[in-house]
Amino acid sequence: MKNYRNLTIKELHELLVKKEVTPLELTKEALELAKKDTNNAIEYLMEKEALEIASNLKEPEVNNPLWGIPFIIKDNMSTKDVPTTASSNILNGYVPLFDATVVTKLKEAHAVPICKATLDELAMGGTGTTGHLGTTYNPYDRSHKHLVGGSSCGSAALVADGVAPLALASDTGDSTRKPASYAGLVGFKPTWSRISRFGLFPFAPSLDTIGFFTRSVLDSAYTLNVLAGRDLNDSTSSTKEVEDYTRLLNEPIKGKKIAIIKEINEATSDKTLLDLFAKTVKELENKGAEVHYVSVSRHLLETLFPTYFVISCAEATSNNANLDGVKFGPAYDGATYQEVMTKARTKGFSELIKRRFVIGSYALMRENQNELFLRAQKNRRRIVEEINKILEEYDLIYTIAAPSVAPTFDNASDKLSDEYLIADNHLVIGNFTGLPSITIPVGFENDLPLGVNIMGKAFHEAEVLQLANKIEEITGLYGLVAKEGK
Amino acid sequence: MKEYNIEVLKDAANRLLFDMSDEEYQTLLEEFDIITKQMRLIGEDNTLDNLEPMTFPFECTTTFLREDIPGTPLVREEAIKNAGNKTGGQIKLPKVVL
Amino acid sequence: MEFEPVIGLEIHVELKTKSKMFSNGPVLFGAEPNTLVVPLDMGFPGTMPIVNKEAVIYAIRVSNALHMKIDHELHFDRKNYFYSDLPKGYQITQNLRPIGSDGYLEIEVDGKTKRINIERLHMEEDTCKQLHFNTFTLLDYNRAGTPLVEIVSRPDIRSGEEAMKYVEKIRSIVVFSEVSDGKMEEGSLRCDVNISLREKGTEPFGTKVEIKNINSISHIQRAVDFEIARQSKILNEGGTIAQETRRYDDAKRETILMRVKTDAVDYKYFPEPNITPIALSDEFVEDAIKNCPELADSKKVRYMNEYGLNEYDASQLLIDKDLSNYYDELTKYSKQYKLLANWVNVDINGYLNKNNITVLNFSLKPQELASLVEMVAKNTISSNQAKEIFNKMISDNLTALEAKKALGISEQISDNEFIIKVINEVLDEFPNSIVDYKEGKGRALGFMIGQVMKKTQGKVNPKLTNDLLLEELKKR
Repeated sequence: MKNYRNLTIKELHELLVKKEVTPLELTKEALELAKKDTNNAIEYLMEKEALEIASNLKEPEVNNPLWGIPFIIKDNMSTKDVPTTASSNILNGYVPLFDATVVTKLKEAHAVPICKATLDELAMGGTGTTGHLGTTYNPYDRSHKHLVGGSSCGSAALVADGVAPLALASDTGDSTRKPASYAGLVGFKPTWSRISRFGLFPFAPSLDTIGFFTRSVLDSAYTLNVLAGRDLNDSTSSTKEVEDYTRLLNEPIKGKKIAIIKEINEATSDKTLLDLFAKTVKELENKGAEVHYVSVSRHLLETLFPTYFVISCAEATSNNANLDGVKFGPAYDGATYQEVMTKARTKGFSELIKRRFVIGSYALMRENQNELFLRAQKNRRRIVEEINKILEEYDLIYTIAAPSVAPTFDNASDKLSDEYLIADNHLVIGNFTGLPSITIPVGFENDLPLGVNIMGKAFHEAEVLQLANKIEEITGLYGLVAKEGK
Repeated sequence: MKEYNIEVLKDAANRLLFDMSDEEYQTLLEEFDIITKQMRLIGEDNTLDNLEPMTFPFECTTTFLREDIPGTPLVREEAIKNAGNKTGGQIKLPKVVL
Repeated sequence: MEFEPVIGLEIHVELKTKSKMFSNGPVLFGAEPNTLVVPLDMGFPGTMPIVNKEAVIYAIRVSNALHMKIDHELHFDRKNYFYSDLPKGYQITQNLRPIGSDGYLEIEVDGKTKRINIERLHMEEDTCKQLHFNTFTLLDYNRAGTPLVEIVSRPDIRSGEEAMKYVEKIRSIVVFSEVSDGKMEEGSLRCDVNISLREKGTEPFGTKVEIKNINSISHIQRAVDFEIARQSKILNEGGTIAQETRRYDDAKRETILMRVKTDAVDYKYFPEPNITPIALSDEFVEDAIKNCPELADSKKVRYMNEYGLNEYDASQLLIDKDLSNYYDELTKYSKQYKLLANWVNVDINGYLNKNNITVLNFSLKPQELASLVEMVAKNTISSNQAKEIFNKMISDNLTALEAKKALGISEQISDNEFIIKVINEVLDEFPNSIVDYKEGKGRALGFMIGQVMKKTQGKVNPKLTNDLLLEELKKR
C-alpha cells in the first residue's frame, strides 16, 4: 500500500480528486496505523463507523477539501453511540446520545472519523500523563522519554505520527497550542465563540475553545471554514459572519505591524529556539512587516498562571458536578444517595482532579471569593486590557510557543520561576482574551520540534493564518510527521 | 481568606462528595502553599480593586432568546440507558431522606 | 411579653411555557416518567443552556404586576450544591442580578390596605421529581428544567392571615397573567415561609424558622399561626428558638421538625459562563407587559366603574380567572352587565359545581347565553322561563331561540299600548270589579288580571300588566 502518512489535507484532496486514492483506502490505512499506535494515544477505535462512512464516499467533491479525509476526535467530545470518557474513569462505559457540533460538521463535510484520542483526564492537564490510560508519548522520541504535551495529547500524537492529517482538540489554557509545539504541528485555537462548543465536555467554559491540529496552515484554514459558525445549541457561539479563511493566505504582509513581547523572550533560555525565532523575525522584516518589541509588565505576566489556575479550577469543579454515577458512568450501591455519589466520585476521579476541584471550590467559597476567584477575574481583566492595548497599535503578536522542546517525563519545573510562570504559560493569554492564536513549527532541536505562536485580533482568523502561512513559507516546515517507528 | 489546613481541605473535599488518602491531602496542602504564593503575586496589585471581575473574554452581549417550541424528547430507554441503577423507566437511588 | 411575628415568604412559581427554561424539552403535566427529557435536562456532558424567550416574557409580566424594577440585561449564575434531585450538580439561577427587584403588592386586611414589599424576582430551573418508596427513591426527570420564578418578599408580613392574603394575591397575579396554573396542590406554586418573633417595639430579628412544603393556601394561615403560637410559648417559657426547617402537617394541624440548620449552606455562586449577558430592548419589555392578559385588580375596577357591579359581584367573578374571562366574553354581546354577572355567579357557577366541571369545559357559547340574557332583559320571557331555556340549551345543545321554540315558550307581550287597550276592555266589561277593588277587596285585582290573560292567551307580561292595571284603575 502506498504511504500517505505525511501528506497534508490539500495533498490528499488532490489525490482523492484525481481518484488516485479512495476514501476507503485512506481510511483503511489510518485504521491500520491507529492499530499500530505505540504512543498510547487512543481511547476508542471507530473502525465500524469509519469503514461504513468511507465506503459510501464515491464521487469526489472537488470544492470540498475535507471530503474523504480521515480525522481524529479528542475524547472530550460527545459522539453518538461511541463511548466517550474524557479519559476519566468516572465516565467509563458512557455512550453519548448525541454528536458534538464539530463532529456533526466534519461528518457533514464527509470527513471520516477514525478514533477517539486520549487526553489528560477531563482535559485538565498539560502533560499528557494524567488520563486514565496513563502516559501518552511523543512520537518524535521512540524511546518514550518525552511527553507530547496536553491536554490534547492523543490528538497531537496521532497527527504527528501520521495516522490522520486532522485532529479535533480543545484549548482552555494551551491544550492545543502547546502540544502542537512539542509535536511539530499546526495547532489552532480560533476566537472564543467562533466554533460551537456544543458537545465539548466543559472544563472552564469562559476559556474553553475548540481547536485542531493539522500539518499545514492551509489545512487549518480549510478546517476552520467547515467548523466556524453560529450554532443554536450553543448560545455563546458568535453570530459574526463566517468568511473564507484561506482568503488572505497568499497576500503579502508588507506593512503588517507585529508586536513581540520582550518579557516572554527574556524568560526563555533556549538559545536554539531564540535564534530560530529571531531568524523568522528577520525574514518577516525582509518581507516588509514592521516588527517591534513591546513590553508587558513582568509582574503581570507572572500572574498569568495563578489567575488561570484559580478561574479554571473554579469553573471546573462546577462543570464536573454532574459526574456522580447516577445518570451515567459506573454506578455504585450505598445506603444513601450521598454514599452512592461519593463512591462514584472517589473512585472515578484521579487524585490530581480531586485536588483541582478542592482548589476551585475553595476559591469560590463565600469567605474566599473576593480574595481568590473574584481577584483572579479582575486580574483577567487587567491582562486582557493590557493585551488589547497592544493590539490597538499592532495587527498581531508573535511569540515563542513553548520555552523548549517537549520536556522529558522526569523534568520537574520550578513552579515559581519566570521560565515556568511566563515562558511556559503565556499562551493562556489567548484564552483570557479569547483571541485567535496559532502555533506552528519553527525548527528542531535534537530531532524534537520547536514552535512559535501568533495571536491576532478577535475574529481576525484570516489575518492570523496569513502571518502563519508566511512563517511556514519561511521555514518550509509543513507536512511534518515523526519518523516511522519499528 | 479562610485558613487552610488538612481538616478544612478534607471538609471541602467531602462537600464535593469525594475523599482522598492522607498522603493525597498532604500533597494538596503543599499545592495550596504554592498556589497561595502565586496568588500573592496578584494580591500585590491593589489597583485591581477598581476593576470589574471579568467572566467573558470580550464584550459579547446578545439579544438572542430561544423561541418556546418544544423539541422531540429522548426515547425513555435511551435517556436512562447509561444509568447503572434503574427500574421501570426510572433511575433508582437509595431512599432519599427528606 | 408581647411578641411581633416577622414573616417573609419565598414563593416558587412554575411557568407554563411549552418548553423548559434552558432546553427544548417539553413541559407537560401527567406524562409518563422520563418521557419529556432532552440531554440537557439530565445533565449530559457537553449540553448547553439556551434561555427560553417565553419564560423571560412571563417573568417580566409578573415583575411588572409586582411593581418591580425590571433589569433590561439578563444575567445568570450557578448555584452549586449536590442533591439527589439536581441533575447537573448546580442550578442555573439569577443571584446577582434578578430580573425583577424592589417591588410590592397590596393586600386588604381588616378593611385596610397593607403594602408588602418584595425584594426580588428571579428566573431559575426546577429540579427532577423524586418518588419516595419504602427503601428506595425513583427519579423522574420530566420536571427537571421547568422554568420557575422565585418571588422573595421582604419580612413585612405580621400574621397568618397576611401571609395567606399575600399568597392569594401572588396566585391571582400569576394565574390571571396566564404565566402559571398557580396550583399549590400540584406544586406549580410552592411556598416557603420564614418566621421569627421579636419583642414588640424592638428592631433586631429573632432566630428564623423556615416552614417548607405547605401545599394549600388555607394551610398557610394555619401553619403560620401555629408557628407563631409555638415560638411565643417557647419564648415565654424562657426558651430559645432553634434555627430549623419545619414542615406543616395539616392532619395534626402543627408544624413538624424536619432538620436543624447548622451553618448556612455555601452555594458558591458564580456567573454562568455558558450564557452571555442578554440585552432586552425597551420594546421587548414593553411588549411583554402590553400583551399581558388583564389582572384581577384591573378587572375589578372595570367591573365596578364601567359595568356598575357591586364589589361582591365583581369579586365573585374574579375568584376564577376562566369564569371572569367567560364573563368578559359575554359582555361583548350584551350590555346587561349586572344581569350577566348574576347569570355567571349563580346559574353557571351552580351548574359547574353540580357537574364538577370548569368553565373551560362548559358547552354554552357566550354569544348564546348573552342572547338568552337579552331576552330576559327585554322582558320577552320570564326569568323562570329563561332558566328552563338555559337547561334545554345545555342538554340539547341548542341556541337560545331553538331551545325556547322546543319548549313551546312563546314571546311575552310587553307592548304597553296593546296591554292598556285590553285592560280597558276588561274594565269596561266588569265595572263591578272596579267597585270591589276600590272597596279594598283584593281578589278583584287578580280577577281582572286573569281576564286580561284570558283575552291575550296569557301572552302578556304579568308584571307589566299588573303595573299598568294599577295605573288605569287610578284613572277610573
